[in-house]
Amino acid sequence: MSHAHVDVDKLMSRDNTAFPAGAGKILWIGLLAAGVVCAAIAILKAKNTEGLAGFQLVASYHAGLMAAVGASLGALFLVMVFHQTNAGWSALIRRQVENLTAFFPFMILLGLPLILFKYDIWEWMNTKYVESDPLYQSKASFLNENFFWMRSIAYFLIWFWLARSLVGFSKRQDETGDKWLTAKARRRSSYGLLLFAMTTAFAGFDWIMTMDYHWFSTMWGVYFFAQGVGAALALTLLILLILNMRGKLDGLVTVEHHHDLAKLIFGFTVFWAYIGFSQYFLIWYANIPEETAWFALRRTGPWMNYSMALAAGRFIVPFLILMPRPFRRNRMILMFTCVWIIAFHVFDLLWVIRAEAHDGAHGPVALNAWDALAFAGPLLIFAGVVVMKIVSGPLVPLKDPRFTESLGHKNYV
Amino acid sequence: MAASKKPTNESGEAIWGMMGEFKSPYHITKAAEMFRDAGYKKWDVYTPIPIHGMDEAMGLKTSKIGPIVGIMAIVGVVSALALQGWTSAVDYRMVVAGKPYFAWEQFTPVTFELGVLFSAFGAIFGMLALNKLPMWYHPLMKKDRFLRVSDDRFVIAVEATDAKFNAEQLRAFFEKAGGSNIEMVEE
Repeated sequence: MSHAHVDVDKLMSRDNTAFPAGAGKILWIGLLAAGVVCAAIAILKAKNTEGLAGFQLVASYHAGLMAAVGASLGALFLVMVFHQTNAGWSALIRRQVENLTAFFPFMILLGLPLILFKYDIWEWMNTKYVESDPLYQSKASFLNENFFWMRSIAYFLIWFWLARSLVGFSKRQDETGDKWLTAKARRRSSYGLLLFAMTTAFAGFDWIMTMDYHWFSTMWGVYFFAQGVGAALALTLLILLILNMRGKLDGLVTVEHHHDLAKLIFGFTVFWAYIGFSQYFLIWYANIPEETAWFALRRTGPWMNYSMALAAGRFIVPFLILMPRPFRRNRMILMFTCVWIIAFHVFDLLWVIRAEAHDGAHGPVALNAWDALAFAGPLLIFAGVVVMKIVSGPLVPLKDPRFTESLGHKNYV
Repeated sequence: MAASKKPTNESGEAIWGMMGEFKSPYHITKAAEMFRDAGYKKWDVYTPIPIHGMDEAMGLKTSKIGPIVGIMAIVGVVSALALQGWTSAVDYRMVVAGKPYFAWEQFTPVTFELGVLFSAFGAIFGMLALNKLPMWYHPLMKKDRFLRVSDDRFVIAVEATDAKFNAEQLRAFFEKAGGSNIEMVEE
């Protein structure tokens, strides 16, 4: 009822729903260039550094890449859930979530250098090293190099196809206004979600968990998923807040949409903690050496502090900030919280991946500035790709049939 | 409240208040805004369905239930930790499965559950208390027309204890707000 009095033509003016041609070009080219430089320095330095120090750099690079991949996957999940549940409120924010899914081709490009270091990252690929290891032999039918690369390519193709077709439907609808594209997207999201669940869980197992191939956790796939959706939501809200501050989407994306995203961020903050704790708790309780080794490593030396910082930073702080209703409707507090969560999302992946860079005798080494350079590479490229997508088209799905519903959206509690 | 102040009808019965019916959610929302703006305090809206935006139209403030639940959650968490900590680390120390006496990991599930349980108690009993429930008698329930509020009627009722209560003026105000079947409600 309330939107009946709104001047829709004014809201939909090009000025409010898109950037002028060429805007932001310096920013995204700069981000991409900085990312390429950081990534190249990290890879070259790692190649020319013997032993553990080299692997540490690669692990940080891998962590940066996985942080970006996790966020892209989270965004892909959100797009499909919005379609599948026919979520009216989400129509106006969906384009920014779609923009986050543009990273997958770059994921492949950035993943290629990891092949140079595959024996460091995935020790089990070194068949000579593992041939007498019964713990490897029992997994060999799944965990062998050929199958691993086949699976990796399959994950990429499935994600790329889902993201590309769903974003494609949305962009085509901008021009034609064909409402059946929404139904098409909804249908694709149904089996898309099933494919997504399988591939995300297994990508988490393959690319991250098998870095310590003795260790296993059935919770791992869900943990990877929880990380990614939390990050994707925080990124979406951050982008919308920045767009609002720059005078875009004024009157379209309002505090009501911010509030709902903040509720989801709160929910996924709790979900992340629930999954992370459950995984730790069962392993701690059962106390079986091949399982506890993974956590024991992260309780050694400075990594004990990192573990506590992660629990405080990724759960307790955002949990307390997002609890009161007025805070979930305050732009500055939300912006701070989003940046905080994204920073701790990266830290989470470092905690998971970088800790694996250790030799048997010592625990993992403390993080240093070189690590920052290495993980910044993939993340800057991710940011560059997203900015490029944001400035290159309409900021909202212009002719989505749920548009008016989203415009009149309100939080009554 | 002093009984002597209460208005009575012709036959001397004490008056509880006045009720009027409205046609639809839209009409009753508009009427609620008028009652809010006219400064009535002791009145309520009765509808068969929840109506979005009614809190705002009535000028209701945020519910007090949040802080109640918050305090109960903290009480639950503290008592769970105290119970487990005292029994396993103070009163009857026993090594179980090689774990420390005070192991936060194994206390967490119970602490979480008790926090949730106490919060739920706070929410349910706090809600009942704030709504003055259980309430065994309410004057409106004597009105046959009012009973249809659980079916297809939208009713606003103003209590006689409201400072602005004046039978004549109120009846006129109900009519202005679009009300019909305006009735006095006896105690």
